[in-house]
Amino acid sequence: MPDTLLRLLHDISWPAALALAWLAGEAGQRWLRLPRVSGYGIAGFLMAASQGGFLADPEGAPVTLLADFAFALILFELGYRINLRWLRANPWLGATSILEAFGTFGAVLAVALAFDVPPVPALLLAALTMSTSPAAVLRVANDLRSAGQVTERIMHLSAFNCVLSVATFKAVLGYSILTNSGSVFHAIWSSLVVVLASAGIGTLFGVAVPGLLRGIGGLARNATIAFALAALLLTTLTHALKFSPLLAALAFGLVARHRRVILSQAQRNFGALGDLLTVLLFVFVAATIDGRQALAGATLGLSIVGVRLAVKTAVTTLLSRASGISWRKGALTGVAMMPLSVFAILLMEQTRRSDFGAFEEMAGIAAVVLLLEVAGPLFTQWALARAGESVGKEER
Amino acid sequence: MPLEPFKHSAALTMGVELELQLIDPTDFNLSASATDMLHLLERSGFQGDVKPEVTESMIELATTVHTRYDALLAELKNIRDGLVAAGDRLNVSLCGGGTHPFQHWSEQRIFAKPRFKEVAALYGYLAKQFTVFGQHIHIGCTSADQGLFLLHGLNRYLPHFIALSGSSPFSQGVDTLFDSSRLNSVFAFPLSGRAPFMLDWADFERDYFAKMEATGIVKSMKDFYWDIRPKPEYGTIELRVCDTPLTVTRAAALAGYLQALCHMLLERRDPPPTEDDYLVYNYNRFQACRFGLDGILVHPATHENIPLREDILATLRRLEPHAEALDSRAALDILWREMVFDGNHASFLRHQYASAGGLQGMVAAAVSLFREDAAT
Repeated sequence: MPDTLLRLLHDISWPAALALAWLAGEAGQRWLRLPRVSGYGIAGFLMAASQGGFLADPEGAPVTLLADFAFALILFELGYRINLRWLRANPWLGATSILEAFGTFGAVLAVALAFDVPPVPALLLAALTMSTSPAAVLRVANDLRSAGQVTERIMHLSAFNCVLSVATFKAVLGYSILTNSGSVFHAIWSSLVVVLASAGIGTLFGVAVPGLLRGIGGLARNATIAFALAALLLTTLTHALKFSPLLAALAFGLVARHRRVILSQAQRNFGALGDLLTVLLFVFVAATIDGRQALAGATLGLSIVGVRLAVKTAVTTLLSRASGISWRKGALTGVAMMPLSVFAILLMEQTRRSDFGAFEEMAGIAAVVLLLEVAGPLFTQWALARAGESVGKEER
Repeated sequence: MPLEPFKHSAALTMGVELELQLIDPTDFNLSASATDMLHLLERSGFQGDVKPEVTESMIELATTVHTRYDALLAELKNIRDGLVAAGDRLNVSLCGGGTHPFQHWSEQRIFAKPRFKEVAALYGYLAKQFTVFGQHIHIGCTSADQGLFLLHGLNRYLPHFIALSGSSPFSQGVDTLFDSSRLNSVFAFPLSGRAPFMLDWADFERDYFAKMEATGIVKSMKDFYWDIRPKPEYGTIELRVCDTPLTVTRAAALAGYLQALCHMLLERRDPPPTEDDYLVYNYNRFQACRFGLDGILVHPATHENIPLREDILATLRRLEPHAEALDSRAALDILWREMVFDGNHASFLRHQYASAGGLQGMVAAAVSLFREDAAT
């Protein structure tokens, strides 16, 4: 009987965790004004086995694929909001992106090396922290119905720095493989080919799906489900081929947008499906964090978080007026770009699956992720509110 | 506070205000970007006069005072170019049109300025529903009495402006079957409609404005949302029934038309305006809103039914010598082409809706048209 009960509990552990996390997200929002995604993250972290909870480490479980799918939907939506023509009309935006991403890379690398992290893990850590997690940024902005230059810029900058981050991360992997095994082919395959093929598959989807939709008609009705199904297919396909689902989904959204089949307002977040998958995604990410590990790397983690915030904010502030906004909004853009967790964890998860073992030495990442899982969305929420871009309570 | 004195202007000078939509180039919905746009314009030394409007997705441009149509058009194009360039830097598009076809009024945000906050507190949801976009044309008057004469003399021609400028067929995601659905939003306001029939400024001030002020309902002329209202501080009358056209070219042409009409009215060959003209006023106004150029007018004096299109064409012919005198033939030619070939912008939008794949495609076409303005 106890055995049956235990098995039953094991079987319902994920759905139960999702229900609890959702409740935590709503409660945190109502009583503490926490962004919902922070609530999901805290709940996930507390329920994880490494903290003595009932949620087993999700690594390798089917739920991983669901988390990837959830993130693919978010990245697709982000890609869809990116307007490449803006880069042409306002070159300072591109300059901001390059400087903030590589500035972060350099600064974090220096901090990691100062903490005696070996070179390859230090480089990987620096590449990871270039990115701003689109999941938190997009969800917080959509939740607050936020609109304006800070909102618009964190979307664009996080899309760009994710691409730069993946490309740099894969390049470091390639370099590391080259120095370890000396195999040029393997090195190029793990870096350049993965990046190009992932973007290529995403582009193919971005051309084919809108074309198909135009053929079928009934755009408003069919667009959401067609894009969601395509994102699912894309995720599983890139998984199976060991490419990057992140890049593929981003490229898919970007190309689909420029092929102009329009997601209407009602389909932001992919509706209830997106909401449900977001809970799963944030619980999943938090459940991968081991509290003890996080504590062990706390000093390094804190230093990285501080340096990353300083560099991003400095760059967005310095280039703010040149790019057409006030100093204040420039600074707030940098602060709003704090979130990192989901992107970093999934990128590591997916790379781990491609049998590479440099992560064990990446002390500090757990602390960074844990800190930013909760604090990142808070910073974004605060910055958007300070910029006057979120809808105030009296207007809701 | 008594009504301020009516400033004297040079006769028949004109100026235009246009309320414009700020559009998100991703989903073509309205974009709450007025604060950012105004900040950038202010910083980049932009010469035009641009102001916020009641919600964050609108801005209002105003020209300087002009005597000539071609100079007015040149200034409008210049301001348009500056705004489009600023929008490009911020990833915000602009377009004309009296309504945004699928925005939801409840999602709009009141611009953070005391006067707009007061309006929102007083009118509740009407303030957000007022996210509609109009063109206002000012005509300079040499005296307050001349202003009142023109204001009432124009009552018979008012439907022309509604039909020619109609560009708000869609609202809240559906075709309203009106060419100008915008004016229905304006009508919800208690102080909208027509000005009281008075031709003497002293009477107006004493017997109407002072009494209204005593009720506590109004403090200044700004509180009236009339179709045509006097603006004593500018020394003008202000025609407020036009939807913002999709192009500045058409906006300037409408101003040229009004200037020529006033030139004709000041010759005082038409029968003088009377209170009874207003018996058919609301009905004619409705016909123009609902059917645009295909509406039917009831003549205020003879009570015969006249197709609006015919009435405008006849008026355009009558105005030719006046346009000659004002050097604004080009303005009338543009309206002539609209009547005979192009149709008003409401028909353009409906055509885009059918051919460009829905509401978003229609807004995309409006954005391109505003930017390129191929003289329509």
